[in-house]
Amino acid sequence: MRNLLYILFFVVGTVQAQTKMTSAEANALKEKVKALALTTNSIVSDFTQYKHMDFLSEDIVTKGNMAFKSPDLLKWAYEEPFKYQVIFKNETLYIDDEGKKSNVDLGSNKMFKELNALIVKSVKGDMFDDQAFDISYFKVDHHDEVYFAPKDTRFSKFIKTFQITFNEQGDVVQVKMVEPSGDYTKIVFSNKVLNAPLDDKMFAH
Amino acid sequence: MTRCLLISLGLLFLVSCGSYPKRNGFQREALQPSIENLYFSNETKDYVYKANIEVYGKTFGGLFIVKKLGDNKHRVAFTTEMGNKLFDFSFENEEFSVNYILEELDRKMFINILRDDFWVLLKSPMEVEDVYGQNNFHIFETMLDRHSHFYFFENEQLKKVVRAKGGKGKVDFLFEDTEGPTARQIQIIHHNIKLKINLKSIK
Repeated sequence: MRNLLYILFFVVGTVQAQTKMTSAEANALKEKVKALALTTNSIVSDFTQYKHMDFLSEDIVTKGNMAFKSPDLLKWAYEEPFKYQVIFKNETLYIDDEGKKSNVDLGSNKMFKELNALIVKSVKGDMFDDQAFDISYFKVDHHDEVYFAPKDTRFSKFIKTFQITFNEQGDVVQVKMVEPSGDYTKIVFSNKVLNAPLDDKMFAH
Repeated sequence: MTRCLLISLGLLFLVSCGSYPKRNGFQREALQPSIENLYFSNETKDYVYKANIEVYGKTFGGLFIVKKLGDNKHRVAFTTEMGNKLFDFSFENEEFSVNYILEELDRKMFINILRDDFWVLLKSPMEVEDVYGQNNFHIFETMLDRHSHFYFFENEQLKKVVRAKGGKGKVDFLFEDTEGPTARQIQIIHHNIKLKINLKSIK
């Protein structure tokens, strides 16, 4: 009986931790995020990535830093436990894999191009496109969480939902990409700085 | 030096498989029933390798992930560095199944190559057909999927496996930077197709 109470408490607790937003709250969040995204010309941040696979005992943790410069320059660099860097620039991915350089031309592949645009958008959280996603809004503890479920089956085959967590300022603090199997990749940002002047050299390859 | 010897031995002995060890001073030894490959044998460990695959002049990287889930039961997955899953396979006894594969990679030939290669990394124990030895070196001939596989041990440590077909070496599996049940670096080198897989342990 006591165990049942614990379970009930836990279940109720979980439900209380995540509540659906009213449409007024959802609209307010959307406006806040869009306004911040519009005034964000650059982002630099550290990140920790957790790859969760149900069959593993622990998540695979990788760490690095990222830099974004408006409108669409993005550098994503892993520092630990290996060095690997991708620069998204002019429809091309420039990869530096522990010194081995290569590039991938996205121009010819519509899906990769769209996926690339999506990655850039998710960094700012501005993905409020009702045509492309089924969008749900939640309040979780002191954060806001928005689930973007791709409508296009070409995307939903890889990613069931993008779950983006925003702080009170409407800035992205975490991106979680959940696969149809339930496995996910979670990226937690830290030491984030907006609108610092960034030299284009930072995105040289 | 010993590694060079092992590698050159691997290349040479395949000219005429069984006879080479004897011609090079390797003596046929008393048969032991089986050998073990311990490199993916610990159920409590998540095996994670940074992978680099060179295939027909193209190179791509990712994470190679292995988990032992029970006796003769493994899960093997490959993701990009950014976490996107490319494939996820299950191996159980003689059964192989695909849990997930990216549509672009879903080609029977490609899957079969990976399946056969991963079997070699995972399968243990292996029944022994023949044994040759000299000092601290031992070569064990085994059969896997109807093909001869030669397991090279140096001081009881598995250093190399060669898959042979028609008396020729088709694929080399090199275990480097090894210590007990750990191989920090693994190379899979195909000789009949342009495919090379390089794995470096990160966990």
